[in-house]
Amino acid sequence: MSGDPGPPAEAVRGSMPVLMQDFDDGSLYALRAAVAAHAAAAGLSSTRVYDVVAVTHELAANAVRHGAGHGQLRMWTDRQVLYCQVTDDGPRTPPHRAVKHKQTHAEPVPWPAERGHGLWVAGKVADQVSVDRGPAGTTATIAFTISPSSLPAQTQAPERASPAVAANPPRLRPDPGNRPESAGS
Amino acid sequence: MTADASTQITELTTDDHACLTFGEAEELFDLTAAFVRDGLAAGLEVMWLSDVSPGQAVAELARRGIVAGPAVAAGQMTAAGCEGRLLSGQTFSAEAAVRWLTGQLEWSRRQGFPGVRIAVDMSWALRPVTGIEQLPQFEQGVATALAGSTASLLCQYDRDRFDPVTLASVAGFHTRSVAAATYHSDAVLRICRQYAPPGVRIAGEIDYQAEQPLALALAEAVRLDGDIVVNMEGLAFIDARCTLMITDAARTMAGSRVVTLRCRPEVAAGFVRLDVADLDGVRLETVR
Repeated sequence: MSGDPGPPAEAVRGSMPVLMQDFDDGSLYALRAAVAAHAAAAGLSSTRVYDVVAVTHELAANAVRHGAGHGQLRMWTDRQVLYCQVTDDGPRTPPHRAVKHKQTHAEPVPWPAERGHGLWVAGKVADQVSVDRGPAGTTATIAFTISPSSLPAQTQAPERASPAVAANPPRLRPDPGNRPESAGS
Repeated sequence: MTADASTQITELTTDDHACLTFGEAEELFDLTAAFVRDGLAAGLEVMWLSDVSPGQAVAELARRGIVAGPAVAAGQMTAAGCEGRLLSGQTFSAEAAVRWLTGQLEWSRRQGFPGVRIAVDMSWALRPVTGIEQLPQFEQGVATALAGSTASLLCQYDRDRFDPVTLASVAGFHTRSVAAATYHSDAVLRICRQYAPPGVRIAGEIDYQAEQPLALALAEAVRLDGDIVVNMEGLAFIDARCTLMITDAARTMAGSRVVTLRCRPEVAAGFVRLDVADLDGVRLETVR
């Protein structure tokens, strides 16, 4: 992560979003449909389009369930990278507990452990993930390289488990945590 | 008996005249396969009248783990069209159709079968057939023919293609109303029980908002006997929460039996990340 200072912020300033869409719990289906359409138009493979949709959904669902209950998605491309940024502008936690937070390997996930599975998936699937948390809310950004040759092996051969997961390229961001042991934990 | 919307396909008995409504081919085949499976297991003669060819019918049953070839060869099972049985050319006659049914019941009795099960896909009635207005009369005649017999008839109506007036006009002649147990159904998602093979079928897109019906479906699947299939072939999206729930359920169910998770590769990837394929008693099958 230290090798890449984080293109999302720069890209936000330098690139015109191809999609800006507000969402809440009643519009996640529409959000997924829009993300899928734009990810496909950006040139990602169908398997990778699914990954973009899946991760974006997890971030949006986190905003709905554990954030303000609604949020906004921005999506753009920059130098053969597709970015999706989910902004939740109203944390439900008391303001005095909200701290400007840039996630690193050693730091905990911004949501409680039982709610961390979505971020765990994001860390496994996306090429890059960053989460910033502050008084104004949470901003999560994911990046996907638009290059078929860089696709993780797991999306090409999902029949077997461990080798495919291990074949993921190195992350540019911290892994959000270990695999949850159960849905109810 | 009166129509009972809660009847399951596995609860049908002799002299039942059941009205099955379905919404998609997969549901129709699932319920029909269970009807055929239970009939063959009981030693009954079984007839499946539909537009499906005999070869396709046997293959469809085989896909669901039902070996029907020997029964077909032995004359215990017949898969055929309605032409020459309920229809003659493009003409339908309620009297002739009931006469065919009565003769079939008598033939089956003479062959020594303890009973007969007949599944009839009524989609033929949607085509331009002369005499279709006699459909209620036919259903009434069937009720009379089956009374006190050891035969059961399963009339299958596509609930999306038959108009409500027609469905209402024939419903009263049936002793039971059969449909798949449904836990959730809307334009985006359908969660229902699968009968052949037993398990749960999930189609559409599912996320945490369907957590409750999914939990109920999985809880009921846990109580089913034998191997379980979670059929997700028609599932285009699943989120992390539901992936985890199904994984937990599979882990709970597996042990003395096999739990099969059948899904598309993109959906399977979520289970792969959880090392589901390495769990004892859990099989992850990907389909295109």
